[in-house]
Amino acid sequence: MHLTFTPIEGKSRNFSTLEATLMALSLVGLMSFVISYVKGHETLGTSNVIPWGMPIVITIYLIGLSAGSLILSSLTYVFKKEEYRPISRIAVFLAIVLIFGAMVGIALDLGRPEKSWRLFIFFALNNMRSMFAINGILYGGYFVISLVYLGFMFADKPKSTKIMAVIAIGWAALVHMGTGAIFGFIAARPIFYSPLRPLEFLAAAMASGLALLTILLVLIFKLAKRDLNRDIILSLGKLLLALIILLFIFVFVDKLTHLYSPHREPMIWLLTGPFSSIFWGLQVGCAYVLPTILLVHPRYNKTTKAVIGAAILVVIGIFAERFVLVIPGAAYPLPFYPGKIEGIWGQPGSFPFTPVEIFMSLGIFALMGLFLILGLKHLELLPAYESSGQKPASQ
Amino acid sequence: MARWGMVIDLDKCTGCQACTIVCKVENNVPHGSPEEQKWRREIYWNKVIAVTNGKYPRVNTQLIPMPCMHCDDAPCVTVCPAKATYRREDGIIMQDFRKCIGCKYCIVACPYGARSFNSKEQEEKEYHRHDLPPDRLAWGPWPFPSRTHGVVEKCTFCFHRIDQGIKEGKKIGEEVVPACVEDCPAHARFFGDLDDTESEVSRLLSSRGWSRLREGLGTKPKVYYLSK
Repeated sequence: MHLTFTPIEGKSRNFSTLEATLMALSLVGLMSFVISYVKGHETLGTSNVIPWGMPIVITIYLIGLSAGSLILSSLTYVFKKEEYRPISRIAVFLAIVLIFGAMVGIALDLGRPEKSWRLFIFFALNNMRSMFAINGILYGGYFVISLVYLGFMFADKPKSTKIMAVIAIGWAALVHMGTGAIFGFIAARPIFYSPLRPLEFLAAAMASGLALLTILLVLIFKLAKRDLNRDIILSLGKLLLALIILLFIFVFVDKLTHLYSPHREPMIWLLTGPFSSIFWGLQVGCAYVLPTILLVHPRYNKTTKAVIGAAILVVIGIFAERFVLVIPGAAYPLPFYPGKIEGIWGQPGSFPFTPVEIFMSLGIFALMGLFLILGLKHLELLPAYESSGQKPASQ
Repeated sequence: MARWGMVIDLDKCTGCQACTIVCKVENNVPHGSPEEQKWRREIYWNKVIAVTNGKYPRVNTQLIPMPCMHCDDAPCVTVCPAKATYRREDGIIMQDFRKCIGCKYCIVACPYGARSFNSKEQEEKEYHRHDLPPDRLAWGPWPFPSRTHGVVEKCTFCFHRIDQGIKEGKKIGEEVVPACVEDCPAHARFFGDLDDTESEVSRLLSSRGWSRLREGLGTKPKVYYLSK
C-alpha cells in the first residue's frame, strides 16, 4: 500500500471554533505572562522556598512527552514497522510542537525572560559546569534535529530519514536524561538528589510518550475512518505495561533508597505529608496501579478500550509525577543546624495556585494546540486513504 | 590575595537581629511586609534562625545568624548557567544582576537558603534609604538601589566597603568591616583574612572550638561559628 499524506481541510465550523478558542486562550496566557513580567513573580505561586512552579512542572512534562514519543516513533521507523507509518510524520511534528511548548514554559518561568538568549550562547556566556547550560545545548540541538528529520520526511528521502531517526533516538534520550540531571545533581535537596533521576526521567518519558502515541494513533485512525487494527493497539498495550513496570521499579528503588538516612525524614514527609494525596492518588494510582490492572486483568486485557484507558491514565499520572517531584522537592525545609528550627525557616513551603499562573499554564497548552491544528491544516501530516474520501495532496 | 571570611561567636550572639536590620539598611534591601514574609517572598541577605533542642524545662536554644556562607566550593556557582554568580579572587561569591536570567536554579542548589528572589517591582517608598531612589538605568552590583525584580539577590560580604577600604589603604577587618560586623552590639562577629595568620579571625579560629554549617555537603563555607 502506498501511503500519501495530506493536510486536513480545516473549513468546518468546529475547526474555526477550536482555532478561535485556542487563540483566545493563548492570548489570555500571554496577558498573564505580561502581568507576571511587569509586576514580578509575586503574582505566581513561587517563593524563596519553592522557586520553581507550574511552568517548570509543565516544561519537564512536555520535554518527556516529546522525547518519549520521538524515541518510540523513530524506533518503529528504524525497525521498519510498516503498520506505524501512518503516524510517523505527525509524531515528529508533535515532538517539535511539544519541545517548543517546553521552551515557552522555561521562558515563562525565568525572572528575566528577555535575557534567555544568554542560555544559547554556548560556552562563551555559559558556565558549562551547569546542568542547565548543558541542557541548553541538548534542547537547541533537539529542536534542529527534529526539524531536519521532519524535513527529510517531507522530502521523501528514506535513507536520510533513517539516519536522522537514529540520531534523533539518541539525542532525545540524552535530552530527557539531561533534564533529569538538572534535579538529580542537586545535593542540597534530598527529594531531588539521586543518581537514578536521569534514568527515571527517561523511563517516564518513554511511558508517557508511548501513551500519547497510542492515543494519537487511535484518534487518527478514527479521523481517517479506517478500521483500527486490534493487534497493533494490543501490542502497544504490552509495551506500555513493560514501560510502566520499568518506571515503577525506578521510582520504587529511588523512594526506598531515600527512606534510609540521611534522607529519611524528607521522604517520610513526602509520603505522608500535604503532598501525599497527590503522590499516592495521582502518581501511584494513575500512573502505575490502575494502568497495570487494566493491562493485566484477564477481563480487560484483550480489549482496545483498556489500552486506551490505560494510556490516558498514564498521561495524567506522569504529569502528577512531575508535580510531586518539583514542588515538594523544594518545599521541604533545609536543615541548617541540628535540632528543631523555629519559625518560618523551619517550616515547609506552601504553593498557592494563583490565577495568573493557571492562565499562563493553560496558555502554554493552548498555544501548542493552536500550532498543532495549524500544522494539520497547512502541512501534509495526516495519512490519506481512498476510503476516507479525502483527496491526496498533489505529489 | 586575601581570602575573606567571617567568624561568629555563638556565645556572644543575643539574637537581637541588628545584623538583619543593618544589612537591609546598608544594602538597601526592600522592607518586605508581613504578607510577603508569610508567603516567604521577603528578601533577606542575612537572617537569624533559632534552633531548639530538648523538651521543656530542659531546652537549649541556639541562635544562628546566617549570612551567605561564601563557600569555597559553592553549589550556586556550579549551577548558574549564565555565569551571573561567580567567585571573586578574594573568595567573595558575587551576583551580577546584569547577567542573571532569573532561572532560580541557584536558590534550589543553595544548602543554606542564603539566596532570595526579587519577586516584585519595588516602589521607592519600600526601600530604606530614600536618599537613593531606584535607578533602573544603571544595573550594577553597587549601589544597590539600582535593582530590578526577576533576579536573585544575596549577601556580598559588603564588598563595596572592602574595595573602598583597600583603595584608601585601610586595614580590612579592623578599620573596615561589613555592616553586620560593625553594628553587632554584642561584638559577636569578626571579619578578616583567613589566610593571614596575624588576623583576628585566624587568632580566634586557632584558640576556640569552631564549626561550619552543613559540612557534610563539602561546600567549605567561609563563615565559621565559635561554639557556645
